[in-house]
Formats: sequence, C-alpha cells, structure tokens
Amino acid sequence: MSSTHVMRLALVGNPNCGKTALFNLLTGSRQKVANYAGVTVERKEGRLLAPSGRQYAVLDLPGAYSFHASSLDEAVTRDLCRGFYPGEPAPDVLVCVVDATNLRLHLRFALEVRSLGRPMVVAVNMMDAARRRGIEIDLDILQRELGVPVVPTVAVRRDGAHALVELIDALAPTAQAVAKPLEDHAPTQESLHEETRRLLTLAVSQPRRTAALDDTLDRWLLHPVIGLATLAVVMFLMFQAVYAWATPVMDLIEAGTGAFGEWVARVLPEGPLSSLLVEGVIAGLGGVIVFLPQIVVLFAFILALEETGYLPRAAFLLDRLMSKAGLSGRSFIPLLSSFACAIPGIMATRSIQDPRDRLATIMVAPLMTCSARLPVYALLIGAFIPRQQVGIFNLQGLVLFSLYAAGIASALAVSWVMKKWRRDTGEHALMLELPAYRMPHARDLLIGLWERVLIFLKRVGGIILALTILLWVLLTFPAPPEGATQAAIEYSFAGRIGHAMTSVFAPLGFNWQICIALIPGLAAREVAVSSLATVYALQAVDDAAATDALTPIISSEWTLAMALSLLVWFIYAPQCLSTLATIRRETQSWKQVAIATGYLFGLAYLASLVTYQVAVALGAG
Amino acid sequence: METGLLVQYIAIAIAAMASIAYVIFTQWPAATRRARIACALALMGSTRPAWMQRIGRRLAPAATNASTCGGCSSCD
Repeated sequence: MSSTHVMRLALVGNPNCGKTALFNLLTGSRQKVANYAGVTVERKEGRLLAPSGRQYAVLDLPGAYSFHASSLDEAVTRDLCRGFYPGEPAPDVLVCVVDATNLRLHLRFALEVRSLGRPMVVAVNMMDAARRRGIEIDLDILQRELGVPVVPTVAVRRDGAHALVELIDALAPTAQAVAKPLEDHAPTQESLHEETRRLLTLAVSQPRRTAALDDTLDRWLLHPVIGLATLAVVMFLMFQAVYAWATPVMDLIEAGTGAFGEWVARVLPEGPLSSLLVEGVIAGLGGVIVFLPQIVVLFAFILALEETGYLPRAAFLLDRLMSKAGLSGRSFIPLLSSFACAIPGIMATRSIQDPRDRLATIMVAPLMTCSARLPVYALLIGAFIPRQQVGIFNLQGLVLFSLYAAGIASALAVSWVMKKWRRDTGEHALMLELPAYRMPHARDLLIGLWERVLIFLKRVGGIILALTILLWVLLTFPAPPEGATQAAIEYSFAGRIGHAMTSVFAPLGFNWQICIALIPGLAAREVAVSSLATVYALQAVDDAAATDALTPIISSEWTLAMALSLLVWFIYAPQCLSTLATIRRETQSWKQVAIATGYLFGLAYLASLVTYQVAVALGAG
Repeated sequence: METGLLVQYIAIAIAAMASIAYVIFTQWPAATRRARIACALALMGSTRPAWMQRIGRRLAPAATNASTCGGCSSCD
C-alpha cells in the first residue's frame, strides 16, 4: 500500500446501531452527502484525520439486517461490502458496528460480514448503555472467537471512538492482516444463529432482572387490547398537555410581542417603515412565535416516547391495522417522521422494499399532521373552542387530538382505496427490532428539544420573515386613488387578488383575508398565521389596535363555520411546495406529483365545502 | 418627496428585494442553480472582458454532486 493511498473505511451494521453517530464522531463536519448512482439511497462519505496525520475516507453505509437484501438500502450495502457496486471501489477495511445492548441481533450480521473474508474490525458501540444495564461483555473472548479485532466505542461521547481510531491507525500499513480467510460458502441462517448463540454464551452475561422487566412490560403494552388502549391514552394525554402546560408561556410571549410592537410604534416616526415593522414584521412573526411553547411540549412527549423505546412497540401494535389499510408495517416509521415534517418522512420510505407499498406511503405521508400545521390549528382552536373542561379533559386538547386523529384516519382511508384500486391482496410481514426499555436521559431530551426550537426559530427568521415582508408590500401598494371610499387595503395588489380568489373559495366560507393567507402558506404552512396577523394589523384603525393579538380578532370577525372549514382545509391541502418537490425527487415522476396534488386539493376542497355547509345549516354560520 | 420618506422607501425596497431573493433561493434551489450556471457560462466566455469573467466566476455556484439534495432546508 503506497503512502499516498487514502485508506477507505466503510461503517457497516444493523439500523440503529449508532453507525451514523460514530461516523459523525469520526469525520466531524468533513462530510459529503450524495446518492448512490442510479438509486435514491443516501451516500455519506467523510474524511478522518487520525492523530498520526494519516487520512482516511470513511463511508457510512445504509443500515442492513442481512446480506439477503430485502430493501434497496440492504442491496447497496451488500454490493458495496463485496466490492461489486459499480463506480465504487471496494473498502479497504469494513468497520462493523454492533450495538452492545442488542448483541443477539447484531452479532448475527457481524458474522455475515466476516464471511466475506475482507479486512474487518468490530466496533462494539453503546458500551456505556450496556454497562448501565448490567450487560457484561468480554471483548477479549469475543475477539478471540471472531478472529478479528474488537474495540469498544461510545459514539455519543467526544472521545468515544478513541480506541477505534488507534486500532485503525495501527492496522493501516497491514490492513490485509485483519482479514479472516474467506469461507468456502455463504453461511446458512441456522449456522449464523447457532454461532451467535455460542458467542453470546461465551462472551456475554445478561442481567435477568432487566430482561424480565422488559418482558412484563411487553406483556401489557403489546397486548392487542390493553396495548392499544394504552397507546390511545398516551396520545390523548400528549395533546391535553399541549394546551394545559403551554398556555401560561404563550400568554407571556403574546403580551411581550404586543408591548414590543407598541414600543416600536412609539419610537419610530410614523411612515411606511414603521408600518412594515409594526404591522408587518412584529405582528406577523409574533403571531407565529407565540406557538413555540406548544411545539416544545408536543416534541418533549414525542422525544420521551422515542427514548423509552415505546415507539417501535406502537408500530407493532398498529401493524395489523396498517396492513388492512394497504400499508406495510415498514410504513410506520416514515409516517411517524411525517408528524415532524413530511419531507424526511417521504425520504424515509426508501427502506420500504415493495415499490407499491412505498408509493402508497409517499402518497399518504402529507396527510400526517406536520409541526407546521400546529400554529394554524392552535390559532383557530384558541379562537373558537372555549377553554373549558369536559369531565377531566380539556376541550381544546380534545379538538387538537381529533384533528391529528382525522389526519391518521384519512391516511388509512386513502391507502385502503389505493389498495382496492390496484387490487392488491398481498401482505408483507413486519420485521421489527424492539429495543429494550430505558429511562430517557434529560440531556438527550434537552438537546432534541433545543434542535426543534432552533429549527422553528430558523423558519421564523427565514422563510416566514421573508414572506411576511413581501405580503406587507402587496398589502400596502399601490396606495388608494384620490377620493377612495373604501379601506386602503382593498385597493392593494393583495386585496385585489384576495377578492378575485373568493369566487372560488366563497362556498367554503373563506373571506378574502383567508384567501390571501393561503398563497404564502404554500411555502410554509405557518406563514398563513403570520399572513393573517399582517392583514388584520394593516386593517386596524390605529396603532394600538394593530398590535392586538390575532386570536381575539378572528374570534370576533369569523364564524365558527369558517374556522371549522379552514381547519379541515389544513388537514388535507398540500400547502407545501417542498413536499411536492420531494415526492417528485423520490418517485422520479411528475405524474405522481400531479396525482398527489390533485387528490389532496380535491379532498381539501370537498371536505371544507361539506364542513362549512353542514355547519351553516346547523346554525354555526 | 422629503428625504426621510425617501430613505424609508429605499429601505423597504431593499428588504423586499432581499425577501424575493431568499424565497427564490430556498423554494427553487435547483432552478436557481441552473440559472446561475447559465449566467456564469455566458459571462465567462473567452472573448468576454476580464471584469465580466470575474463576475461570472463569482456567480457560478459551488460544485456538488449532481444528485444531492437541493438544499431547501425545509426538512430541517
């Protein structure tokens, strides 16, 4: 091996073994993300600069359970490890990452990797978590029995890959020495299981108490009736907390932005710049930022459930229901991701093996209630649903829960129709790894929440701010003509566009202000809220009224039927251009984009129309 | 028009132009990239004056793999 040759390391392992965390730890920001040629499987390569000064190219391969590939990701990993992937040189060393807390599953794949006969190192990751759970692993015995170097790693700790880097550096000049001779033929599933059992018996001792506790919990939480009831209660409590806990902080933020707006109006001389800042930027952004506490509470619950290991169990519980509706059990994680944002959810469908299941999941992912809808829902619920108790429940929380449930039910109904349409009777079994239960770490939760807060603030300071400024311009210019009798806003570009749109949206109960808010809402749904805040601030008779909160304004100017119609519109409407762009990229088809856009807009219009007309007929209009 | 008002309108115009640019760059990253490449190629022709070629080089987007995400940041 020449001294100028950059050695190629490939990180390989089961999904969720901490491979990507280890990759991030090794390469830091020196990463390049792309796709493998011809497929939409992400390729991540980074550079590792070892203390010796040697450079390594590190490749983070897609997670795989086996070389008997059942998805595109696994096929890419298999071919790359074997050195058969077109345009990709074979890695010099395979770093097989295994989860120390789940060696029963992960060692099986490590044995498969070993059978390739390529130079290999085993990184036993999450050693700290294993120790905490009382799992003892004799790495020397494991190394002796596997016949390849074995090192402990803790990918989430700054110096957690120290031993691995040292080993790689030491092996670099003689990488071939760590290769296990190629076995005559690929190992059978039985022989892999048998060998895994043997290794576990020799090198690993599990505490009985933890496993017994997990089994007891699973008996209840995976029970077909009690488990589902528990899941419903957990989800229900989550939405109750969103209202019960967030309200005091929301009131503070609302009062703060109002006071700030009044102060700016007092300090700046009257003129267009003051109007832009007070009625445009502060009213618009203040109208959105007030919902930050609710987003924090919602994600605190989701992150905590994820950390405890409960979410994969929820996938297991819902598998039967999902397969009846024409979705694969593998659809659960992409759909769950879509609650944060449909874009990563749609991208996560790459792990679904069957192309038709994948397409069905992509098509229904936009129906999951993403976090961008939350400000819209919260605004309308706050304005129209009284803050009162129904038994032990908060009525506003109940309505929010029902909106989320409506999104899920609609997704299941749409996928069921798609299944019937394509006359598909086949079912695909769900293979799922259930991690051990664990107490969530406060630090991890806080980091996760901090990331969500930053993402939200970045959107507020980025796309929402930009669109609010543009909307203010459209609502302010041109100035009304001499002798105008109506409000200035009626003569503006946006006013005219809004009035023109009402001819289409009037049957849904939308006034021109709502119609205007729908347009910038296509870039980001929350912008609809800031847009409404700006429209009403500009319509206000004086500066004091311009800094009023949006909620009391719409509760006095709109009817309940209008609010319900808009809520239903936001359940279905594909009000997100980025989601449509992602569907195009993932399906490589404009036809699918047209189908998704058409059916979602059609559903939104129809459902809003029915909601509004029924509500008016019942006297809510 | 008095100077104070003129300054206010200039500030608003700059904010509006910056907002338009931001929305275009974030919502249509691939199209923006293609447009920048086309402009840069037109400006960097060998017969163009040096100052024009310099502008073309500044306008050209950084090289990336063709199949990478466009970077709309909507998913983060």
